[in-house]
This record gives sequence, C-alpha cells and structure tokens, in this order.
Amino acid sequence: MDTQQRIKAQVESNPVVLYMKGTPQMPQCGFSAMAVQVLQACGVGSFASVNVLADPEIRQGIKEFANWPTIPQLYVNGEFVGGADILREMYQSGELQKLLEPVKQQA
Amino acid sequence: MVTPESIEASIRAGLPCERVEVVGDGQHFQALVVSAAFAGKSRVQRHQLVYAALGERMREEVHALSMKTLTPEELAAGG
Repeated sequence: MDTQQRIKAQVESNPVVLYMKGTPQMPQCGFSAMAVQVLQACGVGSFASVNVLADPEIRQGIKEFANWPTIPQLYVNGEFVGGADILREMYQSGELQKLLEPVKQQA
Repeated sequence: MVTPESIEASIRAGLPCERVEVVGDGQHFQALVVSAAFAGKSRVQRHQLVYAALGERMREEVHALSMKTLTPEELAAGG
C-alpha cells in the first residue's frame, strides 16, 4: 500500500483522526497541543491520532493528501476539516462542536 | 533568516490582496490577509490560496504560519 492509500485507509476507518507532532499525551509542537485541547474541549475524549514525527512517509504524504502544507490536520468522517487556525476559529464560533457532536461518542 | 516582509511580498505576488500584515520571529509567523478573492470560499479554500501563493517557501522555509483570512466586507464588519 502506498502512503496516500495508507492515509486514506486511516481517515476512513476512524471517525476522528488528528495528524500531529507527538502524541495527545505529549505533543511536540504548540499547534498540535492546541488541536488536542480543542478536541478535548469539544468532548472528544478519545480519538485516533497519528504522530507524523514517527513516520517520515506520512509526514510528507499528509501534506499532499489534502493539499495542505502544515501539521496538525484534523479529519472527521474521512473529510479534511482544517489545521490549527481553522480548528480554533471553528471552536470559537461553535461550528466544531456541532460537527463533532455526532461522532464524539463513537470516536 | 526569513523576514515577515518577504512573506508579505510572496503573498502579495501570488494573490491579489487589499491588505496583508505579517509579523513573526523568523520561524513562526502570523498573517492577516484581506482579499476579495476569498469571497464565497471556505476557510480551508482561503488558506489554500495563501499557501499556494507561498508555494515552495511554505515547505522549505516557514515552520508555521498562523493566519486570519477575510474579505474586505468581513474586515469592514469587524473581522
């Protein structure tokens, strides 16, 4: 399976996937840490996460997957939602809570 | 070292903008980008337009760019 196929399988087999630097328990970048905090503030206690620092192929491939050059990246039901700025804005406006409401129990 | 001014110049060169303001420390930058080209576009699409303007610089030089993307109307309405 090539990298793009691996990413596709990851985002389609988990309702919520966060590509980040480090782990939710130990983020290695402030933007990734903020993305984890926002998800937790939305009531999504457990979610799939991929540490791109541990996988150079994913780290490069994820930038091409959604035509998005930065990390973190959040996917919900296989769809790219956004990076750190967008997650923060969507949280502040209440859009993210609404988007995550149907998936937060199964995540 | 990457300067905020050079980031601003790259954004302006690749995207017609009413206003661009960039501040940063050489690795982490914050930008306010105001462009009529954002009208009718989602946040993701707006950020992709700015990333496209920065092109390879985004991959090679800039560790992080935090941005706020507004149309002139949204700016006038208070952002």
